[in-house]
Amino acid sequence: MEIRKDYYTGLKPVLYTIVFEVKKQKKKFYVFVGITILIAFLVGYVLMSIPNNLLPDTQLDFFINGLGFILYLTLFAACLFFSGIICSEYSKKTGFIVFPKINKYKLILGKYFGNLTLVVAIITIYYLLLALLGFYYYGGPINTLLFSSYAIAILYVIALSSFVTFFSSFMRSVVVTIIVTFLILFIGFNIADGIVLLVLGDKFEPLYSLSYLGTLITGILHSPFPDPRYVEFTLGGGDGAFGGREFTIGQWITPSIGMGITLLLIYIIGFFLLAAILFKRRQL
Amino acid sequence: MSEVVLKFEKLTKKFGNFTAVNGINLEVHRGETIGLVGPNGAGKTTTIKMIAKILRPNSGRILIRTDQSDLEDLQKVSRTTNQIGFLIDIPAFYNMTAYQLLRYFANLHNYPKDQIDKRINELLELFKLTEWKHEKVKNFSKGMTQKLGIIQALIHNPEIIILDEPQTGLDPLARVEIRRYIRELQSLGKTVFVASHMLYEISEVCDKIALINYGSIIGFDTVENLAHILKTSELNCVLLEPLKPSELESLLKKLTEKLHPYLDHDLDPKISMIPIKYFPEQQGLKIFYDGQNKSKGEILKILIKEFENDFTVISFTQPKTSQLERVYTEMVKNNKLNNGVVRKNGN
Ligand SMILES: Nc1ncnc2c1ncn2[C@@H]1O[C@H](COP(=O)(O)OP(=O)(O)OP(=O)(O)O)[C@@H](O)[C@H]1O
Ligand SMILES: [Mg+2]
Repeated sequence: MEIRKDYYTGLKPVLYTIVFEVKKQKKKFYVFVGITILIAFLVGYVLMSIPNNLLPDTQLDFFINGLGFILYLTLFAACLFFSGIICSEYSKKTGFIVFPKINKYKLILGKYFGNLTLVVAIITIYYLLLALLGFYYYGGPINTLLFSSYAIAILYVIALSSFVTFFSSFMRSVVVTIIVTFLILFIGFNIADGIVLLVLGDKFEPLYSLSYLGTLITGILHSPFPDPRYVEFTLGGGDGAFGGREFTIGQWITPSIGMGITLLLIYIIGFFLLAAILFKRRQL
Repeated sequence: MSEVVLKFEKLTKKFGNFTAVNGINLEVHRGETIGLVGPNGAGKTTTIKMIAKILRPNSGRILIRTDQSDLEDLQKVSRTTNQIGFLIDIPAFYNMTAYQLLRYFANLHNYPKDQIDKRINELLELFKLTEWKHEKVKNFSKGMTQKLGIIQALIHNPEIIILDEPQTGLDPLARVEIRRYIRELQSLGKTVFVASHMLYEISEVCDKIALINYGSIIGFDTVENLAHILKTSELNCVLLEPLKPSELESLLKKLTEKLHPYLDHDLDPKISMIPIKYFPEQQGLKIFYDGQNKSKGEILKILIKEFENDFTVISFTQPKTSQLERVYTEMVKNNKLNNGVVRKNGN
């Protein structure tokens, strides 16, 4: 009983920080929710209302369509909510006041979970809207695969958040952190994946890549689950645009469910731990 | 004397090749108010950051008495946050309201929940920020931010209070208030450690002053003793009527003769060439004496008795401010010359 009480007292600063962080980021959150609703409305309603843009045949296809934006949404959310999580304490010097009041591990845990609450809420809202629209167009029940996709999306956005937190722990300014993490996540991984694909093709699955792991969000919606997960397309041939030559382009569609979840978890824990250790050691 | 609550042992901090704090040794006793005084860049903030564990010393250590136990190495104790209140450098806050911030900080310090609001209101009242309670700090003026900085250091009613230039950016009235509040903290038995580059601002409230320059403590004593170490002391006498210019020279000669045993004979030429000076505008004499209290009495006696027919002394004071400022500049200068510590009892 004594020990439990001690744990609770030890955790209290984390809980206070979570609540405080949520309040602090409230404005950013509202703006983001506004944008999320707008995107859902555009993708799920306006686009579907254009006469030529026929509604997909199945509810599942509608979800796959609607989730085309989820990679961007998670990326923006993670970058904007987490980029300043550590480095702003240094660049804005707010650490002078906060660091003497709370253990740094507890501070980072509190801030991390506080922002996570908001980011997860944003993703949840998007999925809710999508589910509602799916119901509106196709009637119930909602395909349960959407819940699996939601779970993966949450894991994915947490992994991105850990990744951005890690960068925030050693970067000097918030803006640079946003730009760098955005470039790495948006372009960097894709370029790396492209090169790896070109060189190694089906011999190496780019499991290191967060972008690739993100494809599981829509990948899991495919019924049946893609098998094989590596496919090749042949382009050109005949008298076509490529002057009669044939091109074979391979692509990894999605990681396997087990592997995807495992790696996302590794990303989440690994980068957060690294961030916490760097933060603890960083002087102001 | 009361027990030591904070102790620096050969505390050193380097930034690359540059030594910002150089082997500081210092003891702070419970209930004392210590001033850490030194020019810009002397290493005051760096020292305080090390107490706050925001910076790690390169060598040496800080010892702290936690609760009733023995002195412990600061790096090894985790539960110090509730005992010390810090104001470090110029405060910067998250952009929230004063109330939200203070409430969060009080919570972090585990301050009793039912008393937090009362405490916040008291402190806001004291620093005249009550009207700003629910304003975001973004809209605060520099002085108001500074006041909030002081409040956050005190919010959990800590035993040891460490303030880095608390008077920065404050108007004269607020400066006086801060001094008054520091005295109040003293009367509550709190230990206060204040850094400042303005000696006279804090000398009044400090029991002892540690002079720091180029990262080294060059003197640590009471204000009076510090002045004594440097010997030179001055007295200001205001006269009822101005001295006649025609008599001035002979009178000064006579004064110098009569007061000879009590005067300061190796005055720094930069301060004054002669130990007695007359200032016509102020109708006053400035006498550089040897700093002994006994001499002061003798000088007064002589001025009144033996110069009865020459002038009438209407005030006889020892200016604290300028004396202190001189101690300060003297020490800093000496330190540069000797590149070391000013010897105690240098006379
Ligand atoms: N992070 C840092 N990196 C490099 N040098 C530093 C760093 N922090 C402080 N310094 C240097 O250490 C010296 C002492 O700085 P410090 O801030 O402790 O001075 P101070 O006594 O507080 O001065 P002030 O009265 O101006 O506040 C200065 O020369 C400063 O340039
Ligand atoms: Mg300073």
